[in-house]
Amino acid sequence: MQKSTGNKMKLGIFVTISVTAFIAGIYLIGQRQQLFSNTFQISGIFKDISGLQIGNNVRFSGINVGIIDNIQQITDSTVKVDMLINDDSRKFIKKNAKAIIGSDGLMGNKLILIIPGAPGMPMLSNDDIIETTQPITMDDILFKIKVSSDNAANITDNLSAITQNIREGKGTIGKLFMDTVLAENVDQALISIKQGAGGFKQNMNAASNNILLRGFFKKKNKKNK
Amino acid sequence: MPIETNKNGKVNPVRELRSTENSFVKHLKEFFEEITLLTKFTFRFFKEVIKPPYEFNEFVKQSYLIGYKSFPLVAITGLIMGLVLTIQSRPTLAQFGAESWLPAMVAVSIVREIGPVITALIFAGKVGSGIGAELASMKVTEQIDAMEVSGINPFKYLVVTRIVSATVMLPVLVSAANAISLYGAYIGVNLEGDVSFRLFFAQVFDKLSFTDVFPGIIKTFFFGFAVALISCYKGYNSNKGTEGVGKAANSAVVFGSLFIFILDMIAVQVTSLFSR
Repeated sequence: MQKSTGNKMKLGIFVTISVTAFIAGIYLIGQRQQLFSNTFQISGIFKDISGLQIGNNVRFSGINVGIIDNIQQITDSTVKVDMLINDDSRKFIKKNAKAIIGSDGLMGNKLILIIPGAPGMPMLSNDDIIETTQPITMDDILFKIKVSSDNAANITDNLSAITQNIREGKGTIGKLFMDTVLAENVDQALISIKQGAGGFKQNMNAASNNILLRGFFKKKNKKNK
Repeated sequence: MPIETNKNGKVNPVRELRSTENSFVKHLKEFFEEITLLTKFTFRFFKEVIKPPYEFNEFVKQSYLIGYKSFPLVAITGLIMGLVLTIQSRPTLAQFGAESWLPAMVAVSIVREIGPVITALIFAGKVGSGIGAELASMKVTEQIDAMEVSGINPFKYLVVTRIVSATVMLPVLVSAANAISLYGAYIGVNLEGDVSFRLFFAQVFDKLSFTDVFPGIIKTFFFGFAVALISCYKGYNSNKGTEGVGKAANSAVVFGSLFIFILDMIAVQVTSLFSR
């Protein structure tokens, strides 16, 4: 009889501890999902929620302050997202705060980031709708990369055509680089210019020693000094 | 059935084929008969479980034997399970630079799948074989018949109490095993890292949700029920003398484990259906 009572007690202790562990786990999970704390609801209207799900976190100043409570499609291009926010954070979130969809790290879950509003504005109240900013999605980034790469392809095509023309001696630059006759002409022209410049220098020296122009050159030298 | 030979001692291929066919049909017949008997046994359980009188003292005794006595084995298994899973997962996550995800990943694995299934398999090995062998030896030594003669309903006293105890105690054991496994995972994380107890459990409960916990616990009621039902069925319907005791214990574990996997597969499908 005594043994039976002891066994019953042991069983009772075992069941109590196990059930307490289970309930504690449930409580901790519930607490993280704002089930046991005072909350208020706000909403944001987005064009695209980028895979946001019910239960995802809402983050303000890097702190998880709430969760996504409900997602509802209103029209073909607008989605209403209801958020449950912890009451303790209410005083910090102003009426002009903005919501943006972000993600928790590179591979993490989607979440809503609340960007603080300007100080001096009133606090958010229950059922308020806050302003939203459309996030830059991976598709947007990929689209821009595609446009840039298309442009780069066009530029390289053009460069290729230009270099081809230059190699073939077409156009002014092509002739300049590839036409040997032009190079010889330019060379001749330069020799002629050089000879002309030498002659001109001699003429000027002669002019500066000329009795009629000597006064003018002296005046000019004085002025320069 | 011996294989017939012709005058030259060669096997007649037509007769051999017919013999194989007969053996297959016989096994198939036995299989369907077994299913019918198991179904009848299950219906009888549901009939007896709601009908008074209730054997509460025997239920408490069986709960003690099935639950409390299994706890040390389940606790050691749970601790090792959490520890090993963490150590094994670390290198893969380290390759992606995602070691900080280790507590969350291990917790979801334990709570959703590994904790319930491994504990149920341990349970089938320890409790299933025990029930199968105990009831089979009672059957062989005609103790069950003696109970019937003395006016006690042996089905209610032996089968119903064991099945109900197993159904109730397995979820309790799984809850304890999950908690101990998470502690094992905490030790595993700290073998090569330095994560505080508070941070570890904050990361664990941050990523766990009710859709991880409740399906994991609810399916263990079915695991416990299936293991005990099959063990009781095998033991209660055992024959062939002492040879039948070993056979009943063995088949209780084998079919119990098989049923755990089948039920787990169904549970995963149902859970994914509801979480869509």
